[in-house]
Amino acid sequence: MSNRFWQQAFAIARRDLDRERRSGEVAWVTIPFGAIALLLVPLAVGINQDVLTRIGVGMLFVVVMLFGVLTAVRRTNIETPAQRDAIALLGIDPVAEYVGKSMATALLLLAFEIVMGAVTVALYGLDLAGWEWMLIVMPLTAVGLAELGTLSGAIASSVNAGPALVPLLVTPLAIPLLLGATQTVEVKAGDGGNLSWLVLMAIVVLVLAIVGVVTARPLQETR
Amino acid sequence: MTDATRRSPAWLDVLAVVSVVAALGFALASPRVESQGDAARMLFIHVPTIWLAYLAFGVTFLASIVYLATKTLKWDLVAGSSAELGVVFTILAIFGGAIWGKATWNVYWTWDARLTLTAVMLFIYIGYLALRRAIADPEARARRSAVLGILGLVQLIPVHFSVTWWRTLHQTNTFRPRDIQMDGPILAALLVSVAAFTVVYAALLRHRIRLAELELAALEAAAATDGPVAGDAVSPPTIGSTGAAE
Repeated sequence: MSNRFWQQAFAIARRDLDRERRSGEVAWVTIPFGAIALLLVPLAVGINQDVLTRIGVGMLFVVVMLFGVLTAVRRTNIETPAQRDAIALLGIDPVAEYVGKSMATALLLLAFEIVMGAVTVALYGLDLAGWEWMLIVMPLTAVGLAELGTLSGAIASSVNAGPALVPLLVTPLAIPLLLGATQTVEVKAGDGGNLSWLVLMAIVVLVLAIVGVVTARPLQETR
Repeated sequence: MTDATRRSPAWLDVLAVVSVVAALGFALASPRVESQGDAARMLFIHVPTIWLAYLAFGVTFLASIVYLATKTLKWDLVAGSSAELGVVFTILAIFGGAIWGKATWNVYWTWDARLTLTAVMLFIYIGYLALRRAIADPEARARRSAVLGILGLVQLIPVHFSVTWWRTLHQTNTFRPRDIQMDGPILAALLVSVAAFTVVYAALLRHRIRLAELELAALEAAAATDGPVAGDAVSPPTIGSTGAAE
């Protein structure tokens, strides 16, 4: 891919991050909303430390999946028809647009995961054994969810029920990421299971990248 | 009258009815399984329904690829129609499995890998159908749902292999060509049942595609009609008049 392609991708990513910095939608709405969800769970299932320790990692990634979708479909990520026309007329490569939007969303999701991880450790009293895998799992989850969110956002753009439709499209398809993330961290170190779950996540991320790149142009033509 | 309305798929309908009657005969005549009693006959419904769910979603996947390659709207109609049937057969498979599960495991639902992933697969294609309903323009609907139709198949692979990857409650795959552990009459009844359900799928798919073609034709006819539009009642002011628009 040429320099021009990456310039366009980084320009799109920078624009999305600037819009987020100005609006603070993820920082001031999605992150507190996710933290409240993590606070509600112990109230619902009972404040039993053993139970909380057992479900902590799973709850973290459930919140990341469900509330991460909100990051992917944030208001600042949805373009008006006029903005889409402008991007098309400027000659921005649709693939560069997909890559740029995914990069920006992945960075925001990674920040969201880090904050939610800290909240989970604090509220659920988690033992950090096995959490070194988080250094790979969190970026992979963020990239996979971002690709899926960007793709679904493009599929559902300009559709009346779009904002309601995207979570329905993203959540079932994100199941392999959820399984991979929780199992990688929870499988006991040394039995080799972690790596196979990581491979599953990597394959999902790769497939989503390929589908996103291949379908970027046909999807842009329908917007 | 359009091409779609002139077609007569009656021979396929007759074949579907005949094959279902034959399958029913084979299923009722198959020997009773001592360990499960008559509940074991659910095999002849459960296996064909899940097979047809796979087949229907596989057809959606292939038709989506062909649509994106050729941009022929007919393939989008095939993909959408097949996905609808796939959802119906998945629901039937889940309900049939629940009834069989109650008889053999004493529970309607268990957190088994195959069951859970089949439910996830169902929701993916419910999302696919919801997307199709949300877009009115046929071209936009076709392209966008084609992408989702391709993505959906990614989930089909873990669903099928889940019983091998995670050894949980659900039995392993029924059809293993190199290791068939089934009595001859039961296997024959199962194969007849699978064939009969497949003919039913083909007949239903043909009807659904025909209906989709009629819907499309009606939409195009409505768009081509020069009906009244907003603003028709307003006439421009005449130059040189006394001021009021005529």
